[in-house]
Amino acid sequence: MGDSDEEYIGEVSEDEDDNNVFRGSRSEGSASRAKRRKQRGGAEWEVSRTWETLVEGADGTISSTVEGLLEAGKRKRLLKDTTPLQRGIIRHLILIIDLSQSMTEKDLRPTRYLLTLRYAQELVREFFEQNPISQLGVLGLRDGLAIRISDLSGNPTEHISAIQTLRDQDPKGLPSLQNGIEMARGALFHTPSHGTREIFIIFGSLLSSDPGDIHQTIANLINDKVRVGIVGLAAQVAICRELCAKTNGGDDTRYGVALNEQHFRELLMDVTTPPATYSQKQSASSLLMMGFPSRTVETSPSLCACHSKSSCGGYLCSRCNSKVCGLPAECPSCGLTLILSTHLARSYHHLFPLVNWVEVPWQRASRSSVCFACGIAFPPVPPKDQWQTTENQAKGMSVSSRYECTVCENHFCIDCDLFAHEVVHNCPGCQSKPTFPKKADLLGCQAGLGLEIMDTSA
Amino acid sequence: MNAVDATEHYETSARDPAPALLTVVLDTNPHAWALLEDSLPLSKAIANILVFLNAHLACNYANEVAVVASHSQKAAWLYPHENPATKISHDADGDVSMNGSSTNNNTTEGPGQVNKYRPFRIVEEQVTHNLRELMASTSGPDVKANNSTMMAGALTLALSHINRRSIAWAEAHGADTAAETSGGGPPSGGHASGTDTTEGLQSRILIVSVSGASDSAHQYIPIMNSIFACQRLHIPIDVCKLSGDAVFLQQASDATKGIYMSLTEPRGLLQYLMMAFLPDQRSRRHLVLPTRVDVDFRAACFCHRRVVDIGFVCSICLSIFCEPLDNGTCLTCGTNLEIGDYGAKPAVVARKRKKKKRVNGPSGTATPTPTPTPGP
Repeated sequence: MGDSDEEYIGEVSEDEDDNNVFRGSRSEGSASRAKRRKQRGGAEWEVSRTWETLVEGADGTISSTVEGLLEAGKRKRLLKDTTPLQRGIIRHLILIIDLSQSMTEKDLRPTRYLLTLRYAQELVREFFEQNPISQLGVLGLRDGLAIRISDLSGNPTEHISAIQTLRDQDPKGLPSLQNGIEMARGALFHTPSHGTREIFIIFGSLLSSDPGDIHQTIANLINDKVRVGIVGLAAQVAICRELCAKTNGGDDTRYGVALNEQHFRELLMDVTTPPATYSQKQSASSLLMMGFPSRTVETSPSLCACHSKSSCGGYLCSRCNSKVCGLPAECPSCGLTLILSTHLARSYHHLFPLVNWVEVPWQRASRSSVCFACGIAFPPVPPKDQWQTTENQAKGMSVSSRYECTVCENHFCIDCDLFAHEVVHNCPGCQSKPTFPKKADLLGCQAGLGLEIMDTSA
Repeated sequence: MNAVDATEHYETSARDPAPALLTVVLDTNPHAWALLEDSLPLSKAIANILVFLNAHLACNYANEVAVVASHSQKAAWLYPHENPATKISHDADGDVSMNGSSTNNNTTEGPGQVNKYRPFRIVEEQVTHNLRELMASTSGPDVKANNSTMMAGALTLALSHINRRSIAWAEAHGADTAAETSGGGPPSGGHASGTDTTEGLQSRILIVSVSGASDSAHQYIPIMNSIFACQRLHIPIDVCKLSGDAVFLQQASDATKGIYMSLTEPRGLLQYLMMAFLPDQRSRRHLVLPTRVDVDFRAACFCHRRVVDIGFVCSICLSIFCEPLDNGTCLTCGTNLEIGDYGAKPAVVARKRKKKKRVNGPSGTATPTPTPTPGP
């Protein structure tokens, strides 16, 4: 304990300098300040005075401003980079959950521990929803040890039930980051090079009681091309930031400290988006052999090869004909990856994201009176002399409440904007107009390659 | 510790059954309907579908319907539809009573319509009127130009409408459900992973499809995206197939736990609709539903369109190939690929090639085998 504390303080002092430097530069560059503030999480909430942004409207109420702020908030979530990045679709992720005594704190309700377990289950479900051909494993940190909760596998129900059983236990002892990371590194050691290797840590403590030098571990992680992301529940910890920065090529945005329950959830759900591939060197791409099994229905139940449970339905491995009960899976007898073509299709929207829609100024707003997709009425265009007064509202939102797809030039409302980008990943306008004369446009909208040749039909 | 999680309380609260929103996607591809002319002309099918919509509206006073046409050129709303010609400001979200006043003045039908239940008449008038407009706007060259249907667009429009109605319903019925439905992202809003299907507006989509699948290959990604959105939002897609066979739609109904029916006798459309597709999600739990077990899940490779059991997948763009690529360059994204070290796989590939060579060998015995290059 004493040892690790000393070592830890040594680290802090080194990073403290760094912090001081950027605090000094804070007053100088506003751009860098904004960037830093976003990373630091806590600062934004403490400094901003929310009551000052409220301005009375023409009618003497603040309802219009409040609505504007709500809309801007929705929009902020949306405006992400839509460059079609090469992403690591086949992922190997180890989720490490802090199970030490600091998790009993009640600053996140009901307790950090229970909330973390609940969100972890949601994370597992959402992870496999978004990354159907990926693998996940779960570890815990308790009593200075790393404990194995579930092994690396592609079956979400196993992980969820394993996390569920943790609810009956109590968090205790101190966490050891190093032990956890070393065990995760071991679990990721044999994973193929075409997939990503990631560790994601939910860390509630402010210390780590380690048996050795964690910097050596970090160096090993870099060698093994393992990327680490951390969500802190208490406050920023220097070693966590260093860990994230060093393993992500200097980019420490994957370290976040949760402000509240909602923010914690957002930080967790960010993990479900596949990480961008940084360079060709980092991941060797390869051609994978996969089986596309057919579904079988038998008159009498038989045992499946994966769980030895009797069932009538199932899928037969295309190579060795053994029966598995669910997909995606690895054939237990011959090791072939068995998937459905729909699982592959589920990842396409990461590869070909929908372009962001742009705000529409009043000048162009008269073209439409209702949302193209859902038919809700837009506010009417005011006379020209009022255009300027409404211009200076919360940024990110459109003055005319209209959002335009740059490809099909239809106008949409904010709810359809959110829905199209977060759930459907289609533009209702581009899909509804004749595509044959303007095929290039459609492809532009999906930012895609020449994938229109794709056909999984028989 | 489990007592903290209070999901029980939410389920036990007694409330009226939530209304259902039925969205019908009608495939109006002129080519396919022309083929069906003898057994089931479009006009008759529309009449049947209108009766079906009325039956749905009659089930619950708060039930809603929406109809989207998936035409060969575009996807368009049939009901509710904002008519730009009439500048009357009516309720934009397609509220039935508000629209009624406007359509009442515009279209005066025969005197037999007077006694019809008002929601029925509004739906009927709007659907027939808009469909007539849609058909009138379709020119001969348009029909010649393509024979597919805009299913992806129609599905996306339908989903946007469902989203809008769900938000509106949740706002009207308390903020508790609003947090779940308007969240936009994952449907499981915290505690309600098991209960979210019982609360809120119950939506489902019925696709009346006549086109084959072969023409919609270029819409593969958008259609799949819509299907996954339905899956996340727990919206079943029912498919009523009048002719042809569409693999995408089979997968759609399978993935969303909807009903897929391929009608052997299209003339009985109304009976099929009433018996199989009228029950909502809640009643379906107690019914034995028509199921389709033999969904085709096999994939076709991108290089030769062969149907494959075992394929090779590019780890970057996830394209499927039927055999290892010769120079190791992916045909879709152009990445250089290595063959993975998959247990027995390299051996299998090597053996196949050798066999082929041996088979070729004896047949080509007439030509002398090329001698090795002579030494210097």
